[in-house]
Amino acid sequence: MSTVALVGRPNAGKSTLYNALTGGSAKVGNFPGITVDVLEAEVELDGGERMTVVDLPGVYSVEGHADPESDEGHARRYLDSLVTAKTPHLIAQVVDCTQLELALRLTNELRRRGAPMVLLATQHDVLIKEGSELDAPALADALGIEVMVLSARERGVTQRLKTFVGDAQRKLEPPGTTALDAAKLAKSVLKPIANVEASASKARKRTAQLDALLLHPVLAPFFFVGLMTALFASVFLVADPVTGLIDVVNRAVGGWLEAKLGDGWVTSLLVDGVLGGAGTVLAFLPQIVILTMAMEVIESSGYLSRGTFFVHRILKLAGLGGSAFVPLLTAHACAVPAIQSARIIRDPGQRLRTILVLPLMTCSARIPTYGLLIATFFSERGPLFKGAMFVGLYFAGIAFGMIASLVLGRTVKRTSKPPPLVLEMPAYRRPQLRVVARLGARAASRFVRDVGSVILIASVVLWALLTVPGPASGQHSAPPGASPRVVAMHGSVAAFVGRALEPVTRPAGFDWRLNVGLIGSLGARELMVGTLGVIFGIEGDDDVAPLSKEIRDAQNASGARAYGVPTGLALMAFFIIACQCMSTLAAVRRETRSWKWAGFVFAYTYVAAWLLAVVVYQGATLVGL
Amino acid sequence: MRTLDQLSVGATASVRALHLSEREASRLRAVGLFEGIMVTPLRFAPLGGPMHLRTSTGSELALDRELARAVEVDPT
Repeated sequence: MSTVALVGRPNAGKSTLYNALTGGSAKVGNFPGITVDVLEAEVELDGGERMTVVDLPGVYSVEGHADPESDEGHARRYLDSLVTAKTPHLIAQVVDCTQLELALRLTNELRRRGAPMVLLATQHDVLIKEGSELDAPALADALGIEVMVLSARERGVTQRLKTFVGDAQRKLEPPGTTALDAAKLAKSVLKPIANVEASASKARKRTAQLDALLLHPVLAPFFFVGLMTALFASVFLVADPVTGLIDVVNRAVGGWLEAKLGDGWVTSLLVDGVLGGAGTVLAFLPQIVILTMAMEVIESSGYLSRGTFFVHRILKLAGLGGSAFVPLLTAHACAVPAIQSARIIRDPGQRLRTILVLPLMTCSARIPTYGLLIATFFSERGPLFKGAMFVGLYFAGIAFGMIASLVLGRTVKRTSKPPPLVLEMPAYRRPQLRVVARLGARAASRFVRDVGSVILIASVVLWALLTVPGPASGQHSAPPGASPRVVAMHGSVAAFVGRALEPVTRPAGFDWRLNVGLIGSLGARELMVGTLGVIFGIEGDDDVAPLSKEIRDAQNASGARAYGVPTGLALMAFFIIACQCMSTLAAVRRETRSWKWAGFVFAYTYVAAWLLAVVVYQGATLVGL
Repeated sequence: MRTLDQLSVGATASVRALHLSEREASRLRAVGLFEGIMVTPLRFAPLGGPMHLRTSTGSELALDRELARAVEVDPT
């Protein structure tokens, strides 16, 4: 079986063709360097034979220097491995017709490697709108390579593409060897179309008009900050009612269960453990879906490059360059793909620096905890205040990321300054609603799966640990007049562990119950809400109330309110910084190839998180909040 | 010596030489900025930020001002 490798400059349309060939769903971005992984799929041809199709990250060149850890390095290593392993393979170069000259420079380099090749010329429809067409036979003749012209949107393109690639991989003819001048060749094969006026295509005109607005020296920053604020605020404001609704359903089911099953440990397990834990987390589904879809729209529209263009100068002040912008933005959905996308940064020291601060960006897993804390400690405030607080938490994450970058730049030798910016600015494109919807659905199903598996199991385990009595269960801190079950919880194994940590966490205003939450969310911060849901579900005893109310009403050993605003703020501060995410640490290890940096991220974020929590708690207490 | 960063918005010039290390120069050539090509600045980001330009191959680039200073041009 032979391998067909899709090679091409970044943003040439490889992923679109890969999807057409394989029926797969590789993410199609509108930014150089979106495909960071080598994607592979087997495709069955008409005759029943099979071939492997590979989508490589974009490459500008296959000669000269490339950092092995950058996406270009990954692509080149893959091509070299095909040669060393003597795998029969076909290089299918994906060529953007509107960028023919640049593409042909790469073609020349690929031909010199001598492997069998074909050209897949995309965006021909755009070229025609611009008033030219490609003379494919002439190009094929000159290069000694077969050329197929196609538009990804045309009907039946998949079949045509399969047949063309299938035939070529059966023949595997080496390319021609005559040296060619890319510029001259490009000029000679692009023929003007008689009747089409060279009306600088509509798309290009629209791009220029949009750029005049979105890159306006005065308006651009306002637009950018406004866009981010609107995005973060909408996550809160639009999703809040839906979250409330899921909460209501949750409580109704809980009440029904208690009425049906009566008081007992089974009821407690179902209501406090399952519903209070996993069920509470489920209410945060809409936020995560909204955020994922909004990110995809920003990315596929082509706005990313524009953001990079003017954020570069500001990021430079913090020692991060424009190339760090995409990973930083991606990290607002999830740090794991963001850390991987840091491969688009070509400078190793700068890449490390970016990776080390990415976990501080506000990922979607923090949303449930922030939502809960705001609802708990600022319940009497209006939606505008809550929304502003939410947006503030996002910007706090960014601010601390910048501070961390400055500090790390001074203290960690391996980090380096941002390299000068060189970036292609693609034309704006309308985001494909189908893709946006699919990504939203995928985020939703992943979240539901998480809630149904990891979070559900964790909730049940925690419920058990809160039920089994621990050592020294005699001296407990249950509020006066507490029911036997609450008293038992205060003497449980989990309480024992949480209480052992109190000397460290008391300066930040955390008691054993919050400590158990922090331990529970050590590996995944989304477990925080579920953990607290179980604890305060048991604590709240008979009345089925929203979690925020139960936390607000929680009492300490002397019967007074256990937590005030300072504790809430300190918890927020802790969550801004702490890297409570094993997947992130694993990604750091994978991308830096060392446990050392993963350990470093864990250690520095936890120490900084604790320090900030203490400062915030003490400060807030001092000013009497 | 006239350099790319000195051109005004909308002016066109051809690239004469890249006064850069081989590594940096090859990076510029890779994204379509090479000797002999025509370039037109579209805008400059404020505060010494990067410049936005179009090349005669039809591609648009964002380029750091410090790199633009090292690109020698012949105004036409």
